[in-house]
Amino acid sequence: MRLNTKASVIALAATSVLGAGSAWADAHAWSLEKAAEPYAGTEVNLLFLDRPGYAAALEMIPEFEEKTGIKINTTTVPYENALGEQVRDFVAGGDIDIALIDLVWIGNFAENDWIVPISKFTGNADLADPELDMEDFFPLTLNAFGGWDGEIYGLPFDNYSGLMFYNSCMLKEAGFDGPPETWQELMDDYGPALTKDGKYAFALQSKRNETQSADSFARMLWPFGGSFLNAEFRSNLNSEESQTGLKFRQDLMKYMPEGIVAWDHAETVNGLAQGDIGIITEWSSFYSTLVSPETSTLGDCLAVAAEPAGPAGRKPALGGFSLAVASQADDAEQAAGYLFIQWVTSKANAERYVRAGGVSARQSVYEDPAIREEFKFVPALVESWQEGVPEFRPRFAEWPEITEIVQEWGTKMMLGEVSTEDGATEIGKRMEAVLDQAGYYGGDKPLAQ
Amino acid sequence: MSTRVNRRTLLAFLGPSVFALLAVGVVPLAYAVWKSFYYFNLTKLSRSEFIGLDNYATVLTSGAFWGAMGRTAMLFITAVPIQIAIGLCIALVLHRPGLTLFKTLTRLALVLPMATTYAVVGLLAQVMMNQKYGVFNQMFGWIGIDPINIIGDPTNAFIGVVFWDIWQWTPFVALVLLAGLTTVPPEIEEAARLETKSNWIVLRHVQLPFLIPSLVAVLILRTADTLKLFDMPFTMTRGGPGNATEFIAVLIERIGNRQFDIGLAAAHAIIMLAITVVLARIYISLFYKDVR
Repeated sequence: MRLNTKASVIALAATSVLGAGSAWADAHAWSLEKAAEPYAGTEVNLLFLDRPGYAAALEMIPEFEEKTGIKINTTTVPYENALGEQVRDFVAGGDIDIALIDLVWIGNFAENDWIVPISKFTGNADLADPELDMEDFFPLTLNAFGGWDGEIYGLPFDNYSGLMFYNSCMLKEAGFDGPPETWQELMDDYGPALTKDGKYAFALQSKRNETQSADSFARMLWPFGGSFLNAEFRSNLNSEESQTGLKFRQDLMKYMPEGIVAWDHAETVNGLAQGDIGIITEWSSFYSTLVSPETSTLGDCLAVAAEPAGPAGRKPALGGFSLAVASQADDAEQAAGYLFIQWVTSKANAERYVRAGGVSARQSVYEDPAIREEFKFVPALVESWQEGVPEFRPRFAEWPEITEIVQEWGTKMMLGEVSTEDGATEIGKRMEAVLDQAGYYGGDKPLAQ
Repeated sequence: MSTRVNRRTLLAFLGPSVFALLAVGVVPLAYAVWKSFYYFNLTKLSRSEFIGLDNYATVLTSGAFWGAMGRTAMLFITAVPIQIAIGLCIALVLHRPGLTLFKTLTRLALVLPMATTYAVVGLLAQVMMNQKYGVFNQMFGWIGIDPINIIGDPTNAFIGVVFWDIWQWTPFVALVLLAGLTTVPPEIEEAARLETKSNWIVLRHVQLPFLIPSLVAVLILRTADTLKLFDMPFTMTRGGPGNATEFIAVLIERIGNRQFDIGLAAAHAIIMLAITVVLARIYISLFYKDVR
């Protein structure tokens, strides 16, 4: 009995201590509302694009504003204007508080100190959500979209991988049980069988803008073992592998619609959606367009797979945007901006973001069997993000100049105005001049891409 | 009563206009001239430096610049004569007596293309000229012509830009020439018509001399507009395919807003300004001497 009494006292004391600890923890537990209290009324400005991932975020923003009292002002601009708008705003000390960064802009923004390393906020216990879990982001997306020179600046927000979307009914009619596994199969088997009666086997969006560089030119370099630059940062476009890829693109054009050099994403996605094209390789973010009965006639015929492999492997196109806090914002705007970035890219919101039409970079959301079942693109996306190349397009500050060169000469190659060799020589010469002027060959800058 | 106006009154009336002109015209121009002597890239501001005439040398030895100038000149040479010819026909029809309601409606209709935003014209053109879904190819189909790849073919894309430029600016030319025709004294025109039944003779010997100032104005304005033509081709083709529709203003935008090389873009713009001024002087000295 004495023992029991003693035990009861100890148990009571322990319970009291635990209870007090729990009460203390409750009082000090991190919550978005509490973290945002000092910043209620702060306005945060950022640019958005007119794409499904942004529409998904726009659906979510009212909840964030209600919880925090922080006002999120978004301005939707075309992709082509987004870089210029932001560069001019940052140079002029404007009012953008969160930078929207395409992966090819990250070197530019980071080297100009226009964005703040994320560690400034993740190291602040008042702001950092204990559930942030950076490890949950696909490493490729975190490093490629948000990282530069070993530092993480942005969190992956609007995330893409190149995927192969195809009309399974059209393929079945032509006697195929599934999509091509390799680019060569697409050329040899699917191309001739599907190109008939005004319909085409394949469409490779190649309009003279970033689409030409990223979706068309680069897409044919990497799977064939090619690349823009070699280890010494000299042009690798005349290498045997790069030339094989570029010539393959020329040959494949016979299975594409005439005028493919004028096709952008909209035309390509519509071509598949209307049943005129059998196979396209497009960004994962277009899944919601292709699956919606309002914008697509495909219905159950829509199927998704990872991009075809080349001799060097799959190497799918990689693209996407991160959100990073702008250094020109004042302290309150920076804190409020970080809270928004953390919230909209959080593990907790990932499912909602995906269901609203976005593509999250959180690994955990795709482990959910219901999500894998409902969104056909998930297995291909996960597979692609294991095999992607971070420097699919070099991410250094000089890319905006180099992409213009690639766009011009890449289109000329496709039109047959120059051979792939001459076009590659011209791009290489101009690309090296830009890199030389930037100081890469004089040792002024590290050979980072 | 003295007609002399004191200095204060002059300053009060002229000052705001002069100040506005300085602020919106002269100061930005001076800034552009100044920047054209610098390596000045918005994404590499730390490396900005005075480089003298290097930007000008780069422009004048650049194949891209001369290629774009050639395409711009070709656009001008093909589009403007057609605009003047059609515009003159429309103006002559509207100048004839009678058909009041028809003429009023036509005048109203003429304003519509000019009132349409350039960028919207380009966007509409892109949709209307789509090979598969565009209304142009649908109409070609009605008369048995196979779909034409307009925007994806370099020559067709250029023709497309010429077409839309003519569509948008012929009404302007027509209205300016119509205004010019109203300056012909009615008694002279009437006397000429009593002398001859030939409309061509009346046009050549009576109306045309009065139209010279209007034609010079059209030439100067259309030259400047063509050199500045940006929105329509940019939204329609973005200078492509290849660089088939990369006119000089599209090239300058690419250098300034895509590559952010403001110094080089400014040098392009200053050279373009010089060309515009020289052409304007040439027009005036060539055509005005006839009426002096």
